[in-house]
This record gives sequence, structure tokens and C-alpha cells, in this order.
Amino acid sequence: METVSEVRTEHAPASAPAERMHAKPFATVVWNFLISIKLAIWIIILLAVTSILGTVIEQNQPPENYRQVYEDWAYNLMDRINLFDMYHSWWFLLLLCLFTLNLTCCTIDRLPRVIRTVRKPRLVLDDAMEKSLPLTERWKSKGDIPRRTEEYKATLARVFAAPRVTEADGVVHLYAEKGVSSRFGAYATHAGIVIVFIGAIIGNVFGFKSYVNIPEGKEASHLDARGGKQHIDLPFSVRNNRFWLETYPGGQPKKYASDLSVMENGREVLRKTITVNDPLVYKGVWFYQSSYGQEGGATAQVAVNRQDGTSVGNLSLAPNEPVRIDGYGVVRGVNYEQDFQGKGPALQVVIEKPGRPASDLWILQGRPDLDRGRNDSLVFSFGGLTAKMYTGLQVAKDPGVNVVWLGCLLLTAGMMVSFFVSHRRIWIRLAEGPHGKVEVTAAGSANRNRPAFEKTFASILAEVRKDPSNTDKENPA
Amino acid sequence: MNTLNVQLFDLTTLLFGGASGTYIAAMYGKKETLARIGTWICVAAAIVSTAALGVRWVESYKMGIGRIPVTNLYESLVFFAWSVNLFYLFVEWKYKNRSFGAFVIPIAFATMLFAFTNESGIQPLVPALQSYWLHAHVITCFVGYAAFAVSAGVAVMYLLKAGQEKAKARDGIVARFPSSKVLDDLVYRAIIWGFPFLTAGIITGAAWANYAWGTYWSWDPKETWSLIVWLVYAAFLHARITRGWHGTRAAILSIAGFLATVMCYLGVNLVLSGLHSYGG
Repeated sequence: METVSEVRTEHAPASAPAERMHAKPFATVVWNFLISIKLAIWIIILLAVTSILGTVIEQNQPPENYRQVYEDWAYNLMDRINLFDMYHSWWFLLLLCLFTLNLTCCTIDRLPRVIRTVRKPRLVLDDAMEKSLPLTERWKSKGDIPRRTEEYKATLARVFAAPRVTEADGVVHLYAEKGVSSRFGAYATHAGIVIVFIGAIIGNVFGFKSYVNIPEGKEASHLDARGGKQHIDLPFSVRNNRFWLETYPGGQPKKYASDLSVMENGREVLRKTITVNDPLVYKGVWFYQSSYGQEGGATAQVAVNRQDGTSVGNLSLAPNEPVRIDGYGVVRGVNYEQDFQGKGPALQVVIEKPGRPASDLWILQGRPDLDRGRNDSLVFSFGGLTAKMYTGLQVAKDPGVNVVWLGCLLLTAGMMVSFFVSHRRIWIRLAEGPHGKVEVTAAGSANRNRPAFEKTFASILAEVRKDPSNTDKENPA
Repeated sequence: MNTLNVQLFDLTTLLFGGASGTYIAAMYGKKETLARIGTWICVAAAIVSTAALGVRWVESYKMGIGRIPVTNLYESLVFFAWSVNLFYLFVEWKYKNRSFGAFVIPIAFATMLFAFTNESGIQPLVPALQSYWLHAHVITCFVGYAAFAVSAGVAVMYLLKAGQEKAKARDGIVARFPSSKVLDDLVYRAIIWGFPFLTAGIITGAAWANYAWGTYWSWDPKETWSLIVWLVYAAFLHARITRGWHGTRAAILSIAGFLATVMCYLGVNLVLSGLHSYGG
């Protein structure tokens, strides 16, 4: 006792500080810090609180947007600590690293101990253990130990789990357990989280995310990734055969679709129509329908006929682009109206014939014969506007994604086991008591849902204590 | 004139209002009969709202835009109230105590009232939502939310009960609550049901995002808030299981978790912007 108080005194002998340093080396201090639940809880809280910032401050906007909202000094400060891209900032990644380190160290620290206790359970119920267990019951029983042992063994096996029998100094111990997996649930969950992170890293290092617009009829094999800093040449190309969109009767968008072909060495190797929730996959590269748009301006389709009705051909008029008709003149589409004087879509055309002043006229989509009235050699009919579309594809390759799903599976399964499976243990000790009776002590413990186990324990013991010989007498078969 | 499903949901709102009133009256008047009536009203509300969901589903098919009725704010609110009510009825049956009703059913009632102020028409699905992942994602998330709502309601009861036990008072409405030990246990039990569902909800959301956009996680506000909720309950579970946080501190964490849930569910749509803008 004296030595203990001596070490604790502040005025220690000169050699003591060195001693004390040895008592808790720096590495131990760091290790104890890394394996503490307190650290885990603090990291979890810090991750939660800092994550809020990025939802309040819109992320990855162009600098002008932020400058409109924040004063210069605030903008500079926030930019400095990466608040505009905080989930990829060094400090947030550091927090995630610390989180992973904490999970890993906790596992290294605790898992071997758990494996040991599971592989070598305490088979013997000694006095110290009896005192430490929450549920105990004692009774005396007639008969001898071997017979009672056999009966209890059979009953336990029937109503709970087959027990292991240990004999020491004439005392018999039965040990039965159920739900051992409960001890590993948390570790599976933690391993799952780390595996998800590993998957994310694999995806970031070996994968890419990109975006490409492909006009109808064109193909693409070259991609820019990471904001144009990286160039990717696919070993194949993707051709956009057609893009279209469908709407509901009410006009809301129903479907965006692209008819895509994968071209390899000049041959089509795969063709698929992709929609928003149905991507195309080829050689680990995924193509997602992401956006669309009009490629260039719209062109007006104009049919040209002679007065007798025979066709001369069709014109495709881009806005203000002159098109020459041999032996006639030059035609330009200069204006378009969705609803011309309440008569529907119409196109304004300017006709320039050699040696004559330019004339202009409106031709209506709904009235192909209207232009006959002009009594010219040619009759123009407006067939409507057509626009060439491009499809916007999100392109991604993520070789880590299946690792992420594996991690997710493990983490969910581990969680279920950890919450809903309880490691229940029952010990029964049979010792010789006075007057030729057997002194029986039973104890039990559960690591989850103790109130439920209390009931189970009581009902199991009730079964165990039922004397089969008595039962037989009461109910002669 | 509203369609049949909306009329049924309006009836559900009335029933939740009635049940809330009955449960609260039972609590103040100490009348077990009233509480029993509350239970029957809740059962009726469960039947009517389930029918309403079914009718809405069928009506959407009749409109030629058939899809599961959980795709806009109105539908998600009624689905949330539906989940809370069913989860509540399960708890009431399991714990054989009707005093929870006064703390949980008003949450369902308030949700339905809020739904009532929202556009209730059946809108067709935009292309982004046309996926089977929608079903798995929404259902898992909402069962999780409902469990957290029940936990927070019981946590409030715990705080009242524990305060009374401390003051050694044995009168008033709080005396009729189950013991603080039972309440504390229920706060925890509801969370261990909700947590795996929320986890599954986040994972199915990630899987869906990956299938639709090629990114399983993009730190969109909704995703981030679901992670925040997840982290709060993870902290709760660690504090409870390994550090023995019971009682008051656990109850406060449960309430904080539910506030984060409400922010995730409604706040993000109403206050922030992002991929889940369908609700706004």
C-alpha cells in the first residue's frame, strides 16, 4: 500500500519522472486515444456537424455566385478553408481518415479478445463468476449427480442448446450458448464501412467520370474528365443514332431516350436504346442518359412543286442561309412564327430572282396550297421545323462500385446481427450437497435485450427443474 | 371535387385528429375507455388510409400513368403518417399500453394537416423517378422515419416520467405512463428498428443514383442530411451500448435525431435545393 501512495505523491524522488514516462509511453497514449469510443463519438459528431455546412453553402458553384452573396473577406476566408468544395477538402478527408483509423484500431484492439472468449468460453461456473452474472438461481434436487447431469443435458439441448459438460473435483458444470454471432455484428458493420471507403478510393483512383454530348448521327470516343484536366480515349466509340423525348398527354416529360450503337473497329458490336433509368454498359464503361439539346439552329423543311403539282424537291432552310434553285433564284427562310395570325406555324421566305426586287411571303404549315395563289413557276409549302438533337451522356467507369456494395451488404447484415441476435449463455453447476442431495446453481447472461432473456431464462429453468420421473408418475403413458 | 383517394385521405386526417383528441382526453381524464376508443379510431385510420393508398394507385393506372403513390410531397406525407400509425399500433399492441398514443398520433395528425395544404393531384412520374428502386428506397426510408418519430414521442414521455419519478410525485397524467425503464427501453428499441431501415434506405438510394446517374454518392443536400441523421443515431447507439448512456441523455439524443430526420425529410426540400426537388 505504501508504495502505491508513494508513486502517487507529487514530490517524487528525482528518478521518478523518467519512471513515469516509462509507465505510459507516448505510443500507448496515442493507441489508447485511437481505440477510445469517446474519439469515435466525437468524430461522428464532428462529421455530422461539419456536413451541415456543405448543405447550407451550395457547393461547387462558379466564384461569381459566391461573390454576390459574401463580402470579399468572407469569400476569401471560406475559399481558403475549402468551404465551397468542403467534402473534398483536406480537413474533411482528414476527418474521414481519422474515422477509418479509429474503426480499424478498435477492431484490432477488441476483435482478438472477442475471438478468444468465443473460442474458449468460460465453461466452469465458479463463485466469482456467479457473483458477476445478473441472473442466478439455486435449488436442491434429489438423486445423484450423473443422473441429474444427463437429465439437465437432455433438457437444455431440447429447449435451448446442447451444453458442454466439464467435470472438476466432483463438481459438474454445464455450459450452453446461443447467438454467438451477436459478438461479431459490430465488427462486420465496422469492416463494412471501411470496405465502402476502400471501394470509393478504388473508384477514384482507377475510374473516371465524364460527360459527352453526341449529335444525332455522330459518334464519340474521346472524353474529357475531371473538368478537362484529363483526357480519355475509349477503345471503342459510341454513336448516337437518334434522340427523342416523349411527353404525357398533359405535356410533362415522360421519357428521354437515345438509340446508341457501340462501334468497335468500324463494326457495330452493341446497340441499345437508353433512357434515364436504363444505362448502356460496355467494357466496364457506363453511359447514362443525362441531358439533351438542339444541335445548331432548327431548319425549316420546304417542299417545292411546279404549278402542275410535280415535285422539284425539298429544301432544308437554315435561318437566313440562302439556298439557290437553279433556273429560279435564291430562297431564304428569314422568320418563323409558332402561330401566325391564329393560323398555326408559318415561315417567312424571301425570294430573290435575278434582275427583280426581292419579294417576301409567309407560307403556312397547315395550308400547303396557299402559295399557288402567287402564280409563280414554283410553289413552296412549309413542312415544319426540324431540329437536329444531341444527347448528353454521363459516362462513368467505377471498378470500385462492387466493393462498395459488398461493404454495404456487410454493414447492413452486421447491424441486424448486432441488434437482433443476442449472445445468450447458461451455466448449470451440480455439486454434492448435504443429505445426499444435489446442489444446483444456474446462471445466465445475455448481451442484448436482457428483459426478454430474463423471461427465457426463467422458462428454461422451469423446464430444467421439472423432474422427468415425477412427470412420468403424474402422467402414466 | 376531389378524387376518391383524396377524400379518403381527408377522412384519415379527421380520424387522426379524433384519435389524437381521444388519446389526450384519455390521458387527462384518466379514462381507459377513451384510450380504447382512440385505438379503434387508429385502426379505422389504418384501414381507410391503406384503402386510400390502394385507390390512389389504381386511379393513377386509370389515368395511364400508373405508379406507386409515394412520388411527391403530398404522397410522401400521407405515406409517412400511414407508417407512423402502423408502427404505433404495433408498439401499442406489443407493450399493452395506450398512453403512447397522445405523443405519437399527433405527429401523424400534424403530418396529414400539412399534407392537406399541399397539391394533392396525381402527377405523372418524371423520367428520373421511373425506376423499381423507387419502391425499395422510399419504403425503407419511411419505415425508418416512422420508427424515429415513435422513438422521439416516447423520449418526450420518458423526460416527463423521469422528472415525475425524481420528484416522487404519483399523481396526474404522467403517473399512467409505463415506468421510465420501459420507456427508456422503447426509445432504444424503436431506434434499432429504424436504424437498419434508414441504412437500407440510404444504400438503396445510392444504388439507384448509381444506376441513374453513375454516381452512388454526390454530397447532394438530401444525401448529406440522411448521413447526418445516420450519424446522430450511430452516436446514440455507441453512447448507449458501449458507454451506458441511458435515460435523459439518450432521450435527448433521440429527440435531436428526430429533428435531424425532419430536416432531412422536409427541411431539405423546403429550404435547400438539390436532386430531391420533387417535393418543393
